[in-house]
Order: sequence, then structure tokens, then C-alpha cells
Amino acid sequence: MAGGMTASWLRYGKSALPFLVLLAFLLLPATDPSSNLVRILFTTFVWMITSIAWNIVGGFAGQVSFGFAVFYGLGAYTAALLINAGRNHYFAFLGAAGIAMLASFLVGLPTFWLRGPYFAIATIGVTEAVRVIMSNLSFTGGASGYRITEYGAFKQIEHYYNALIGVAVAVAISAWIAKSRFGLALRAIKQDQEAAAQLGVNPYAFKLWAHAIAAALTGVAGALHARYHIYIDPSGGAGGVFAFQTGISILLMPVIGGIGTVWGPVLGGAVFGIVEEELVVKFPQLHLLLYGALLIVIVLLEPDGLIGLLHKLAKFFRRRREDSGGPRTDKVLWGRSRLEGREL
Amino acid sequence: MSLIDYLDPLVAAVLLAGIYAAMSVGMTVIYGVMKIVNLAHAGLMMMGAYFAYELFERFHIDPVIAAIIALPVFFLFGIAVHWLLVRWLPKSDQPTLSSLLLMFGFWLVLQNVALLIWGNEDRSIFTPMTFSVIQMGPVSIAKVRLIVFVLAVVSVVILQIVLRRSWFGRAVRALIQNPYAAQIAGVDDRRTAMFSFGVGTAFAGFAGALLAMLYSFSPDFGRQFLLRSFVIIVLGGLESFSGVAVGALILALVETFSILFVPASYQPAISYALLVVVLLVLPKGVAGLLEKKWRVA
Repeated sequence: MAGGMTASWLRYGKSALPFLVLLAFLLLPATDPSSNLVRILFTTFVWMITSIAWNIVGGFAGQVSFGFAVFYGLGAYTAALLINAGRNHYFAFLGAAGIAMLASFLVGLPTFWLRGPYFAIATIGVTEAVRVIMSNLSFTGGASGYRITEYGAFKQIEHYYNALIGVAVAVAISAWIAKSRFGLALRAIKQDQEAAAQLGVNPYAFKLWAHAIAAALTGVAGALHARYHIYIDPSGGAGGVFAFQTGISILLMPVIGGIGTVWGPVLGGAVFGIVEEELVVKFPQLHLLLYGALLIVIVLLEPDGLIGLLHKLAKFFRRRREDSGGPRTDKVLWGRSRLEGREL
Repeated sequence: MSLIDYLDPLVAAVLLAGIYAAMSVGMTVIYGVMKIVNLAHAGLMMMGAYFAYELFERFHIDPVIAAIIALPVFFLFGIAVHWLLVRWLPKSDQPTLSSLLLMFGFWLVLQNVALLIWGNEDRSIFTPMTFSVIQMGPVSIAKVRLIVFVLAVVSVVILQIVLRRSWFGRAVRALIQNPYAAQIAGVDDRRTAMFSFGVGTAFAGFAGALLAMLYSFSPDFGRQFLLRSFVIIVLGGLESFSGVAVGALILALVETFSILFVPASYQPAISYALLVVVLLVLPKGVAGLLEKKWRVA
């Protein structure tokens, strides 16, 4: 009896944990944190949103994209232009989501039509093409960047709350997708597109919509970034919103955290955001080398990422305490591993 | 503009097509046999460029010789990479998420190792022939481009002969056409995959060394060529070696003549536009237009 009680408590604790963490972050500003801490948290939140977004199309639907910088950058520029036109910034965030969504169709419509690696490679080309165009576009200042002029005082806490709400919304969407028929369809497409199509799932439409949702979220992240930093440029080193590096970062986070799960990308984004802030300062070149090596190690040794590692650790300790423990439904749904052997 | 004015860009396009074919053929071999989109191709081309650069700077070896030396060196490197990383990937007859991410991670490692060794600045190789021009009637040809073209074409033709005549080549083509039947017929797929990866890598290094004679390069070198290679192999139908030659020619022609209409800074957008058009109009590439029995796998 007692064992059952603890088990159910554990289950409740597990489902309540995200809300507790959210509450903690909501209350955090009351403790008067340093502005540096708020900045790191804000940056991490923005990264988390992109990470969760990438996972929707890359993790759930299994379509690798190297080009999320396009949506990030378009979101940033759309928001910047709207804010400069005197619009409310929430309207600007929505506009960013809308434009990013439209752009996602431009990428997805020709490439999702076919099976195979077309989408993944096309996303490399899209980043390159959009970055070049944005660097030459005169009304956004071209390569020299674009400045946002917003009236009123700079309230860091307001930015913090916007980003936090963004993360909460992204997690909610991701969790909903994971549970819904839509998410089930995406997983079916990832595992076997032909079989999914035979069961009445239209792979083309589902991939397009997953991509569109992901793009919209990434656009909002870009808008948050732009409004906080006031100044954006297309490709100036690692900070450029359209830089290939940005796309790489967005891809790395969910893979590190564990793709195809709800919490993996959140964890990956958190680790990446915090590590990035420290690493970039100390080793500006080395960090991408480390990430590359990490990517290889994750693909070959632990395809489920950090979340997979945590699950394994938890299982290991649970087995030591009590021998029982049913098979995880997740494993049944996903097969042995989320990364291994999945066709594009 | 008279007809003669079009002759110069036409010759330039054909010369460009040679090197394009050489840089894409390695990707086709690897994709055909293993269904891996080798994103590290870009990094390997970059390594090839620095390989030629180092040999030139340290030992004053002509980049032409360096490119030829690059073939066996990168072949062995490719075999090592296959043994160390690629062979652990799950086998599949479709490109997988993990293969894409693995090769991408490997590319990141190569790129940033190069960044640590050579720094971020652009390098280039200047030899006496870099600026010499051959005049042929109304057409003037840069000597380097001609040499690069000849080397590229010879290498691709030799590869084609090897693939047609040798046991290895037949194994490669059999695996491309039907991996299961090939294995039943006694093709050792692991060995063939290993050699194919070696050949693909060798051609990446070789093409990189050739490109280093034409363009300046930095550790980021190769990314713009990666997309071009992919456009070319999609144009060629992904698994067809003769398709690569046709694809290379089409891309080179489009790029060269588009300069007449589109500002040069928009060049990267052109390869992407071409890719989209091909995907929409010719999903099976140029080879798909021909009869299936004509397909030279």
C-alpha cells in the first residue's frame, strides 16, 4: 500500500513540476535579481522557444531543418519594422509569427512534396539566399543592420515576462501536439511515411502545418530578441539573426536535450542558453567545435539526448529500490530510439 | 551584344562545369551506396583547399600536384572516418535523421578545427600561372581554369571507367540499383560502403584543392559549394553519375549567364531558385527524363 502511495505521489509531483518551475520563475523578479541574471534568463528563454519550435518539425515529424535562422530573422525584422511604424509590440509579435509562417510555406511547399533529404538540404540554401537578400535590402539598412526606436523606458522585467510567457505557450503547444491526433500523425509520418499515408494521414499537409507552427514560434522568438536588443543585423558573426550559426544553434539545442520529447528541447535550450553565455565569452571559437563533437557523440551513443540519459539514470535508481516498473508507453510508441533509423 | 560576346561566358560556363562535376561526384557515390547526404562534404572540400595551401607554402609543391596527392590522402582519411564514425550508423535504404546530424556534427568539427589552426582570414594560392591568360581567337581563357577543368574532367572520366569496369564499380552500381539483390549476389556491402566513402572523400579533397586554385578560402569555405553540389546531384537524379555531368553543366550555365541579369551578390539565391524549380518540374532529375534502362547508375 505504502509503495502505491509514493508512486502516485511521484506521478502527481511529476505533472506538477512544470507548474512549480513556472511559478518560481514568475515570482523570481520579486526577489530583486541582478540585471545580469535576468538577461541570461531572458536569452535562455528565447533560445528555449526556438528549441521547442524546432522539435515540433524536427523531432515529432522527423524533418531536419538547418534553416530556422530564416524564421528567427524574419520575425526579428518584422517586429522591428512594425514597432518602428508605431504599432503595439504585442501586435508586432503576432506579425512576426504571421510572416514567419508565410515564409515556412515558401520553403515547405516545394520540398515536402518529395520524400528524402530535399527539405533538409533546401533549408541550407534558404538560409544562404535569405541572408544575402537581407544584406542587400536597402529599406532595412542592408548589411549594416537595423535599429528599433521605441518610446518609453526600457523595462527589463517586462521583456523577461514576455519571454517567459513565450516559453509557457511554446511548451503548451508542444505538449498538446505530443498528446493530440496531430502529434500522433506526425510520429506516424516520422516512423513510416507510406504506412501513415495508407492509414489516411496526409504527410504533405501535416508536415507543412508542423513546419508552420514551428516557424511561427521561432518568429516570435526572433521578435523578442529584436525588441530586447534594439539593434539587429543580418549576418554580423554569431549575433546576426539570419546567420547560419543561428540556425545551427537552434538545431543543436533539441538534439542535445533529446528530440521528439516535450521536455528534451526545454532542457536542451536551458543548458545551451546558460552554457553559451559562459562559453562564448571564454572560448569564442572552441564552443562550436565542442558542439560538433557533442552532436557526433549524441547521435552515436545516446540518441535520446540528455532526457534519455536522465531516464536511464532514473530507471537505474528505481530498479535498485523496487523491482517493478511497467514498460513506458513512450518507448512502445517510439520504438527503441527516437533518432535511430528513422527515415526522412 | 553579338553572338561572339556570348562565347566568352559560354566557355567560362563549360570550364566551371568541370570542377562542379568533380566536386559533386563524390557526394553522389556516397549518397548512392549509403543513402547518406554527406554534409561534411563542405568541410572536406575546405580541408582539401588547406591541404593544397600547406603543401604550396611549406614545400612549394604546385597545387596541381597537391590536388593529385590529395586523392590518396583523402581516400585514406575517408576510410578512417568511415571506420570511426559512419559505420556505426543504423543501416537504411533511405536517408536518416541520424546520418544527417552525424555528418553535420562532423562538418562543424572540421570547420572549427580549421578555424583553430588557420584562423578566420581568407587565404589564396598564387602561382605564376594564376594570372596568365591564353588567347584563342576571340576567346580568352584563364590558364588556371583550363588546367583545373582538364584535371576535373580526367578524374571524373577515370572514376566512370573504374565504376564501369572494376569489381568495386560493379558492386557500387549493384548496391545503388538494388541493395538487397546485390547482397544476395555476394556483394560485401560494408566493404563497398567503406571504399565508397573513401572515394567520395577523396573527390571532396581533390575538388577542394582544385577550387583553392580559383578562389580564396577560409574555414567557412565549402558551404556555398555544398548547396551547389546538392543542386547538381538533384538535377542529375541523385544517383546517376552521368546525370552529375549534365547537372553541373546546367548549373554552371545558369550561374554564368544569370550574371547578365541578376546582381552578383544574389548568386546564392540562384542555386536555391534552381533547386526549387527542379524539384517542382523534374523531381527525378535529368536522368528521370531518360528511359530507366538508360540510366547509368
